[in-house]
Amino acid sequence: MLNVQWLDFVSVFAWFIAVYMVIVIVFYSVILMISMLQLRKEYQLDRIQAYEDYMDEFYTRPVSILVPAYNEEAGIIQSVRSLLSLNYPTFEIIVVNDGSTDGTLEKMIDQYEMKEISKVVRKQINTKPIKTIYQSTILSNLFLVDKENGGKADALNVGLNFSHYPYFCSLDGDSVLEPDAFLKVMKPIIDSNEEVIASGGSVRIANGCEIKNGHILKIGLSNNPLVIMQIIEYLRAFLMGRIGLSRHNLLLIISGAFGVFSKHWTIEAGGYKTDTVGEDMELVVRIHRLLKEKKVNKKIVYVPDPVCWTEVPEDMTILRRQRRRWHRGLFESLWTHRGLTFNPKYGSIGFISFPYFWVVEFLGPIIEFLGYIFMVLCLFLGGVYIEFAILLFLLSCLYGSLFSMAAVLLEEWSLTKYPKVTDIIKLFLYSLTETIWYRPMTVFWRCEGVWQMLVGDKSWGEMKRKGVSK
Amino acid sequence: MINQDILFLAIITLSLMCLLFLLLLYLTIRKAKEIKKRREIEDYKNKINTQIFSIIAEGKRYRGIGCETAIKQKAMEELLSRYVKILEGEEEKERLSDLASDCLQGYYQKRLKSIRWSHRMNALYHIEDFYMIKLLDEVVILSKKKNITHQELIHVLRILATFQYNGLKEVLYYHDLSEYEYRSILMRLNHDLFDQFVLSFHKSTSPLQYAILDVISLKKAIEYRFFTENIFMSYKGEVRLRALKALAEIGYVSNIEPYLHLLHSSSWQERMVAAKLIGSIQEEKGIPRLIELLHDQIWWVRSQAGQSISQFPNGKAILQSVLETSKDTFARDMAWDWLHKGV
Repeated sequence: MLNVQWLDFVSVFAWFIAVYMVIVIVFYSVILMISMLQLRKEYQLDRIQAYEDYMDEFYTRPVSILVPAYNEEAGIIQSVRSLLSLNYPTFEIIVVNDGSTDGTLEKMIDQYEMKEISKVVRKQINTKPIKTIYQSTILSNLFLVDKENGGKADALNVGLNFSHYPYFCSLDGDSVLEPDAFLKVMKPIIDSNEEVIASGGSVRIANGCEIKNGHILKIGLSNNPLVIMQIIEYLRAFLMGRIGLSRHNLLLIISGAFGVFSKHWTIEAGGYKTDTVGEDMELVVRIHRLLKEKKVNKKIVYVPDPVCWTEVPEDMTILRRQRRRWHRGLFESLWTHRGLTFNPKYGSIGFISFPYFWVVEFLGPIIEFLGYIFMVLCLFLGGVYIEFAILLFLLSCLYGSLFSMAAVLLEEWSLTKYPKVTDIIKLFLYSLTETIWYRPMTVFWRCEGVWQMLVGDKSWGEMKRKGVSK
Repeated sequence: MINQDILFLAIITLSLMCLLFLLLLYLTIRKAKEIKKRREIEDYKNKINTQIFSIIAEGKRYRGIGCETAIKQKAMEELLSRYVKILEGEEEKERLSDLASDCLQGYYQKRLKSIRWSHRMNALYHIEDFYMIKLLDEVVILSKKKNITHQELIHVLRILATFQYNGLKEVLYYHDLSEYEYRSILMRLNHDLFDQFVLSFHKSTSPLQYAILDVISLKKAIEYRFFTENIFMSYKGEVRLRALKALAEIGYVSNIEPYLHLLHSSSWQERMVAAKLIGSIQEEKGIPRLIELLHDQIWWVRSQAGQSISQFPNGKAILQSVLETSKDTFARDMAWDWLHKGV
């Protein structure tokens, strides 16, 4: 009797998994097609030429670069130096020292000969109090704001209040920017006559590249399997997912590592939220929401050009923390704004983006995890033919690899090329192994994130950085 | 039944596998080809570099520089692009343009007709950079094509403007562009062609009107001050505001009275731009009102008033006295801010 019930359950669950997989594959395939068309069109376009016109001061909008810094004495000088050599007509750099306990403040003051200035800060968002404001005596567009500790989002809000220009960019302390980064991301904003109010670029992985003084000298592939898998993952996420979503203004994420926003709309939306781990996604969702509620036709877009290089974790413990945090952040944003799901008032954001993020991004790992448990249970209780299981496994292996390889192809069509033939073969071979180890591992970590959330764990998890720049 | 299932899955797996390996094969072959091609281009560039340099810099005659293969054309294009960025003299620019026409004209003619969008765009970029005026007719033909993309159209119009094409106005009137796009085209025009647009200002669409006023403002074109003042007097709303902004940039008006009244306007944008104007032409009569505007309810007006006061020769003293005597915290803050601007 028990056995009969179990077999019923097996077939129902197997069907469920099959249907789910078909939905996901169809969705990804559609997105892949959109991205392919887009990138193929621009393949071999002379991009430097395309950006040259925007170097004219008349046309470009000035940008404030906000660099929140908490205990970054190791890398802050390098980061600022790389910013100073940006190829952009008008910008200011605002380093916000978020109550660091190390020598971040002193280092900045010494290196750039900063002097205290008196300044009226237009308080448009509530933040922790500012202690002192400094300006560099050698570089008039470099400011340092010293404030009480309040977390990254709070530091960004202080930077927002202080900034002078209509657009701002939030930047992680350890990112290395391409010299043309701002020309690239500001182009859609200027082209659209400010119909585009936020724009994010592609983030690439700096581990394995040769970097000096905040400049990429040589693009290379790391030897660490964990890093290679993340490279494949990033290529897939940025080149496939985001181009497709951006094309129809469905983008819910602009990477925290690099994005440009209109200050007006960010402030209108209330600035960064301080009590979430996913403040970058949360802000984008809130802006979308505001736009729909005000019924204005503005866009948030993604630029496939690589604009920024960032360091990714090289060991399991830190990667695990990062993934748990990402998943928790995703859930927090989705849950806070759950009212948007299938709400006709919010149009395609409510009917496509939100369901996609709920079903594929958030529930995906949970369903996959259940699938793994199910397989193991079946081994003991019976119900799944071993050949069938193997084939299903092979199939999912291939489908993962196929999308990964398609992403590598897209990478070849877009700008930055890994220089060697062996790089491609390496990426190919690694992407074949993804299903055996990397995917189950990240799936498990993400489920842990869900668990942490259920038990109310609020920790951020320390991120250790090795420093990418020499 | 089971066997059928397995067979079915096996077929799918196999075909996916084939697809995957085909993809890999394609990618590696492509990559190897690209690397080889790149090396050939670099080799050829090294070979002809000194020759090209002496042709452009010293006007030497050239012979034996071939542009018959795609690789040689690409190499030539890259070399010329590099030189065009660093050249200063008119003569050198002309020589480069001649060289480009001789070697690459046919190549770009073909590229302009390519079915690949990126090929057409690249050709347009280079035609403009190398100032290949001999291709003007081809570009005009392209501008009349029905299925041209918006980005191509904008670039075509920019090239026509750079080449000072006489029929530009007709082409431009035919299309609906954004303010920014109009501006980037108008900025390239010489005085005579720009005049045509100024003359038909009243018939233009609002984005074109804004763009015309912005170009006057960006070029600080003092010869258009009467025109701009006229526009300011006879229009309303955004056009009037843009005209005011242009006047503030030009820094000259024939009669200040109407602008002094504007400092009391009910629209904050007008108050702000008027304050800017008073500052830039340093009209003493406006100072008392500027001091009042330091506690305007709008931050932008306060900030502009502060900036305008600081532009007067005795501006610092005025701000200092506001800081010491004013009872209004907003005004005091703003005075403080402009007194301590920068280090």
